[in-house]
Amino acid sequence: MTSSETRQPTSGTTPSPESTWPPKLDGWLDAVARRATAEGILSSILVPVVSALAALLVGGVLIAIDGVNPLSVYHAILQGVFTKSRGFSYTATVATPLVLIGVGYALAYRARVFTIGGEGQYLVGAVAGTAVVTAGGIGDLPRVVLIVIGLGAAIVAGALWGGLAGVLANRFGASIVISTLMLSFIGDSLLQWAVRDGIRDPESYNANSRPITAAALPSFFGQKTHLGFLFALVLVPIAWWLIRRHRWGFRIDALGHNPGTLDANEFSSARVTLSVLVVAGGLAGLAGMVETTGVNIRLGQEASVGYGWDAIIVALIGRLHPVGVLIAGLGMAGLTIGFESAQRQFELPSSLVSLITAFVIIFVVWGDAIAARWKETR
Amino acid sequence: MDTLFSIATVEAGIRLGLPVALAALGAIINERSGVLNLGLEGMMLSGALGGYIVNDATGSPWIGLLAGLLVGALTGGVFAGLVVTFRTSQVVTGIAFTIVAIAATTYLFQLRWDIGELPPRVERLGMWPLVALTLVCVAGVWFLFRRTTLGLTISAVGESPESADALGYNVVLIRWMATIAGGALAGLGGAVLVNGPLGLFIEEVTAGRGWVALALVVFAGWRPVPAVAGAFLFGLCDAAQLRLQGTATEVPYEVFLALPYVVTLIALVVRARRSHTPAALGDPYVRGAA
Repeated sequence: MTSSETRQPTSGTTPSPESTWPPKLDGWLDAVARRATAEGILSSILVPVVSALAALLVGGVLIAIDGVNPLSVYHAILQGVFTKSRGFSYTATVATPLVLIGVGYALAYRARVFTIGGEGQYLVGAVAGTAVVTAGGIGDLPRVVLIVIGLGAAIVAGALWGGLAGVLANRFGASIVISTLMLSFIGDSLLQWAVRDGIRDPESYNANSRPITAAALPSFFGQKTHLGFLFALVLVPIAWWLIRRHRWGFRIDALGHNPGTLDANEFSSARVTLSVLVVAGGLAGLAGMVETTGVNIRLGQEASVGYGWDAIIVALIGRLHPVGVLIAGLGMAGLTIGFESAQRQFELPSSLVSLITAFVIIFVVWGDAIAARWKETR
Repeated sequence: MDTLFSIATVEAGIRLGLPVALAALGAIINERSGVLNLGLEGMMLSGALGGYIVNDATGSPWIGLLAGLLVGALTGGVFAGLVVTFRTSQVVTGIAFTIVAIAATTYLFQLRWDIGELPPRVERLGMWPLVALTLVCVAGVWFLFRRTTLGLTISAVGESPESADALGYNVVLIRWMATIAGGALAGLGGAVLVNGPLGLFIEEVTAGRGWVALALVVFAGWRPVPAVAGAFLFGLCDAAQLRLQGTATEVPYEVFLALPYVVTLIALVVRARRSHTPAALGDPYVRGAA
């Protein structure tokens, strides 16, 4: 066994402590090289691309069954994204929360920590951030300060909501899938209460918060894309660096591939579990506040639009890779935006776009299994 | 507060607990065989839509229930094909399955009834026939695991598929059957929800009840009778929340909205350590790999 092999968490062996942390550069180059093999390309690029095409094909069949020519629908979708002036801007806006939450999921899933709690963390973040920036006496602060403390409060709230699931898992062995899900439902109840009573605008007839215009994010590229998209763009290389170059990213991958390795090296796998849940929760909380202050004027009952659920698909289609998540997030956002105009034009059911994206994920899962079998039998 | 503790609330609690109880029974069969079915919510939802459409078409809630059972079995078969035969990740496939089911049922529903058009209320079943049906299912699942060889075989496959295989049992076939049975009961649960207490299908009508059922199975230690007791506890919370929504109380009604999920979370924490998890739960079985 060579020393470079022992540094691979993927090799399934237990590396000795002194050779593993900090991981030396040659081990990483080795890992990067191994990923660039034929199977790596097959499973990381071919499967999602073919899955997306197959899902569009299924979508086309469904559109045809509905009595509409699928080609003209897809043409209208492309037109909606690429030729209309606002298409790009709207796509970037919708992609922002998907990428922010999706990168968090990607980090967690790399560690095989299956959180599905992004929606709740997003809502809790939006509520906490809005509560802080609309609190009495704080509105006179400069806009920059308001934005920073609003986003900070949202990150902390989301991180706590995610971290709670981590504590329950580590201390009591509660299933993370189910606890994060329950916390999402509880987070939605919290939002309903907050906008109806807790942080409600007393002068408003509808159940929503006071306007958050004092903390509104600056926008660019036309009127819709806001600063949050820049956050998403900056997050991608940071996450990539964490995964590839930082020991935290290495521990995440170690936990994902062989949790015993961590504990055998006297590094608590529970701490890694907690940390990915805190980070993923913080990112989802950030997404909630970014959406509230970048797109909306108030926080209302309708804040739960499902970005936290859709980002699960984005993370999986993006192959748990930050760049992949960005591409998948933009793709899903483009499909959603393009479909919005096509749907009105051709009178299609509004749920068709979620059905198509749902098919992508089923095909990706299936395609992975086929690719794994193909590798086995070869 | 006296309206909260009335017979009507208890009755509503029972009615709302029945679908969850059936789905939890399905999950028990499923998980005892070693297959973690996170697609349960989706299967419940598919059964609910199937049961609703057939009831609407035939006017018979009983045929609607049968349809829910069959649709659930079909979705169980698709899930088994993916996780048992193709050995895809049970966690990821389950989550993806539920996402697909939510999108697909919403799509089919929107295709059939335009937005704004009021979907018809269907013929509803009374509480007692459904209680009887659920009790028969509980007794059946209890009997299966306590008194039959088949039940023991399913448990053996979930505990140690290698040993079961070595004894000549067909692990893949048994997991297929258990997953189909689990899907069928989940689908029946969804159909009971729509053809029983509601008489109506709306988008995402199950509203997370399938996930609650999965949590209850852990809480109940994979045993049918405690799972059903937990389901009625959930039903009571749900009924209390619905009852208090309209009335002005000291406590915000959102507390009761969150209560079932908080109780489930607490139950998950209290029971997680003591539970008897099937040893091979979540592991795909590859012959000769271990």
